[in-house]
Amino acid sequence: MDIRYVNPFIESFASVMPQLGFGSVTKGNLSAKERELVSSGVIVVVGIVGSIKGNVVYVINMESAKKIASQMMMGMPVNELDDMAKSALSELTNMLTANAATFFSQLDIPIDISTPTLLHGENVSVEMSSNKVLCIQLLADGIPVDINISFEK
Amino acid sequence: MSKIKIVIVDDSPFSIAYLRSILEENAIEVVGEASTLEEVKEVVKSTKPNLVTMDMTLPGTDGLECTRAIHEIDDTIKVIVVSSMMDDEIVQEAKKNNVSAYVQKPVDAEELMTAINRVMASDELFELLENEYTAVFKEGLMDGLNRMTKTSLTYKEEYNAENEYESEGMTVIIGIIGKFSGRMLLDFSKETGNQVASALLRREPKNLDETLAALAEFANIVSGNACSILNRKNKALGLRVAPPSIMHGDSLYISAPSFKTTTAIAETNFGKMLLNVGFRRSEEKWI
Repeated sequence: MDIRYVNPFIESFASVMPQLGFGSVTKGNLSAKERELVSSGVIVVVGIVGSIKGNVVYVINMESAKKIASQMMMGMPVNELDDMAKSALSELTNMLTANAATFFSQLDIPIDISTPTLLHGENVSVEMSSNKVLCIQLLADGIPVDINISFEK
Repeated sequence: MSKIKIVIVDDSPFSIAYLRSILEENAIEVVGEASTLEEVKEVVKSTKPNLVTMDMTLPGTDGLECTRAIHEIDDTIKVIVVSSMMDDEIVQEAKKNNVSAYVQKPVDAEELMTAINRVMASDELFELLENEYTAVFKEGLMDGLNRMTKTSLTYKEEYNAENEYESEGMTVIIGIIGKFSGRMLLDFSKETGNQVASALLRREPKNLDETLAALAEFANIVSGNACSILNRKNKALGLRVAPPSIMHGDSLYISAPSFKTTTAIAETNFGKMLLNVGFRRSEEKWI
């Protein structure tokens, strides 16, 4: 999978998170994984169709998810991952993927995105469609968000 | 398309007369006029329009306050702002208040009619999808299972999924993209998943990878076929499916999205299967 497919997601994160009140955005590790990931916390799947096809899976551990949701809700304390927090995180991944789609279109790679599906659990195996998955960790005010990107070509 | 009924909100008699003439020339029924917040509420309640054209500057109120009042009465009524003012900030504000389109004065007849037709067509198309998708996906799952495993299924229950649910063990998620985006989800226990995979492969799967690949392909075929049937009903839907993702684990909870989805529970020879499908009314594309 082409490594340049990661850049639109980095650009999107860097442009969306500050709009939600996060001060600093930093880049963590970039790694290639086999297609099965084992994750805990909040997992959001967004489908992609267009001149490339695949899925983006956002993984945020539970504590980080609550912190992000709280920041998105003007600092309202989030002790439990309630419906409001889940809705905020769904919307976040929708914004991040939609903005990435805009950056893809600037590379002449038009894509459309599906609605996000949000799950949470412990030790969940996530099997994606292509054999290789690129995983980039991005941090907003030190809070990590793992973005797993899998395209079919 | 059924006849469109419109209310014109404007404080200028000239603008009202001008808009009325454009609309009536295009066979649209103008059912009322208003120029204050009170009049807007009254005329919308009594005439039940499909659409309202909305001026932004009005005595004692503004277009956005009136739009909110209209949506409190009936949130399916479309509002098109028709105003001399148009800048990014005001358009953003209009979007936040669920305005469907923005047309600048002086009004060009063709531009106004394009906006109206686009807004109304999108509405009718979504209605078609909402009315059809549950039956089509249920049929798609039944047909897919029948053709690929030579077994049949019976639907036991069907309901609007409003709450989070705990997965039985395995969940296949397929994102759907088109004029409206959505998702299809199949959920079953690991035992059921294994048995379905065995039936699909006509032998025991060699390992978990093979099981997952068979189930992913099954979900892909079911969703792809269902979307094709919907696209044949109206090609403007343009539905396409993203590749499947499969989640499995001992403790896995799937949240209900913000839009309406339908869940159907199927009893199969292999055990219980949950089918969940839904689409979101996409944001209107702006001019």
